[in-house]
Amino acid sequence: MVNDGTLDIPGTGAGDMNNLWSNPPLGPTAPVGEILLAGTAIRIELPPSLHQLAVDRYEAIRKHIERADSPLHDRVRIFYPQGSMAIRATIKARKRVDGFDIDIIAELILPLSLTPAEVLDLLFAAINGPPGSRYHGMVERQTRCVTVYYADGMHLDVTPTVLIDERAPRLSCLFHAKAEEPPASHKRVLMNSFAFCDWFNELTPANVSFAMAYAERAAAFDRIAILADAEVKPVPAHSTIEGGKSTTVVALQLLKRNRNLRHEKRKGMRLPPSVMMAKIAAETSVPGASIAGALESIAGAIQSTLEAAEREERLVDVRNPRCQDERFTDRWPENRQAQRLYIEDLKLLRQQLAALMSDSLMLDQKRDLLVAMFGEGPAQSTVDEYAATIGRSIQSGNRLVSPLGRIVPSVAAAAPFVVKSGPAQPRPHTFFGTRWKG
Amino acid sequence: MKSVRQQIGAMARRWPTFEVAEQSTTHALWFGGLIGVERSHRLSLEFALPDHRDGKGMSARFPVVRVLSPRLILKPNTAEEAPLPHVYFEEPDTTLSPLCLFDPSKSEWSHDDLVAHTTVPWAADWLACYEGWLATGRWHGGGRHGRGAHKDTMEE
Repeated sequence: MVNDGTLDIPGTGAGDMNNLWSNPPLGPTAPVGEILLAGTAIRIELPPSLHQLAVDRYEAIRKHIERADSPLHDRVRIFYPQGSMAIRATIKARKRVDGFDIDIIAELILPLSLTPAEVLDLLFAAINGPPGSRYHGMVERQTRCVTVYYADGMHLDVTPTVLIDERAPRLSCLFHAKAEEPPASHKRVLMNSFAFCDWFNELTPANVSFAMAYAERAAAFDRIAILADAEVKPVPAHSTIEGGKSTTVVALQLLKRNRNLRHEKRKGMRLPPSVMMAKIAAETSVPGASIAGALESIAGAIQSTLEAAEREERLVDVRNPRCQDERFTDRWPENRQAQRLYIEDLKLLRQQLAALMSDSLMLDQKRDLLVAMFGEGPAQSTVDEYAATIGRSIQSGNRLVSPLGRIVPSVAAAAPFVVKSGPAQPRPHTFFGTRWKG
Repeated sequence: MKSVRQQIGAMARRWPTFEVAEQSTTHALWFGGLIGVERSHRLSLEFALPDHRDGKGMSARFPVVRVLSPRLILKPNTAEEAPLPHVYFEEPDTTLSPLCLFDPSKSEWSHDDLVAHTTVPWAADWLACYEGWLATGRWHGGGRHGRGAHKDTMEE
């Protein structure tokens, strides 16, 4: 760099989507759409501080269940996170603005002769405890789990399971007993979420540079949240980077958020299951892909899977690759109409994503797209932050200008990508102007 | 003082997407594209020496940049900088008003400067802040306003 901050960065100006998508992860020259997707994902995910809170809470529940006067004293073999919590794709709950659903498995040592309702009732009694005890009145018995509600909106779904075969680690059954249904329709359902999460995490390793860039942004946002909430404990910075997220996981969070938003007004309809989405996401995972690239390929793969079922006039059938008898799509889609509806949702999402990543739209148009895709709160907040970052970098003079005029905030962050010399950083200036007389 | 030829040479090197549409020994007019955030905008840039025959006009005092397309959007109800931030309002088409890129009272620009190293990157700054203003209703680029309401009135 000589004298005017010239950058020669492929894909930083008007270019096709492929060029834009090949930029370094979340760096100052990343496509605007990619930066907005990352900001949105950070705003909807379980932040590092709340992750620690969730862990503390489920540990506390485990100890509570194992207390001396509990009906499940000495009956808990293992307590472990499942689903989104286990693959770190937890996002804000569908029906709550600030809440998170945390899924936990309580593997119990119980005779398989107990009925599903008895197992669920036993777990409910163990957690709810006697009047005046820690969780009494905060607990609700569901069809397959027991939910503990916290005042801050978080809730933990604790699913009781029983190991089926000691030689097949974590191969278990869970218990289905809807209170208003006759016992004849209650059942045991084979599952191995532990093995599935292992399989998922193996297939979606984090790219180090992406994981670090994403974790730094998430930690910065989390610090603001911690300042606003005295009850939340800060977590060490390294834990946000260690074993960081892959683009697949971040894209999966966004896809779930989009699904939740689409279904918000579809009363009584089940959601396409997260675990089905996760399975297809892992199968399409490409190391090093951008968030936008991962989101496009996951949405495309789910759409193709559903369309294939639709062509054969059947409902989609997605199973646990580590437990073929576990059918992830056992409760959704209820019918072909639900299947077709989600195909249309995915088509729309992919069109919106392509527009978000194009260089033919202005920031306010991208904001509108982001709102339509993921909801107003996180979308507007992300765009506000982006605009403020650009403005600060201009006011401080701490920005570079690409050969086509794109403003790249933060000279220090951009430095590794400078390959062509040119005149210096444009010198600071003060916007001026006349007042509007109208 | 930089000559028109020097200005044209520097522009060709630094901003090859800008083409000279008019030139003489005392003035030059370019058209070209600038990005700001990501969307390309087409701009005009007019430069003239102080002794240009129309030297009383704005371009003889400082380079004049206008956004031609996409047309600037007026937002009369925005909390900050309504209806358009940091321009010298000009009738009859306000959307073509020249951008206000520096404070004349701070001597931030003179005819000793190359427009390629000052005016054009500052215009890119303006475009980036303008897009942010459209999307958020806030102007994050800082700056100030003179008292006057007319393009040729620049008193503080």
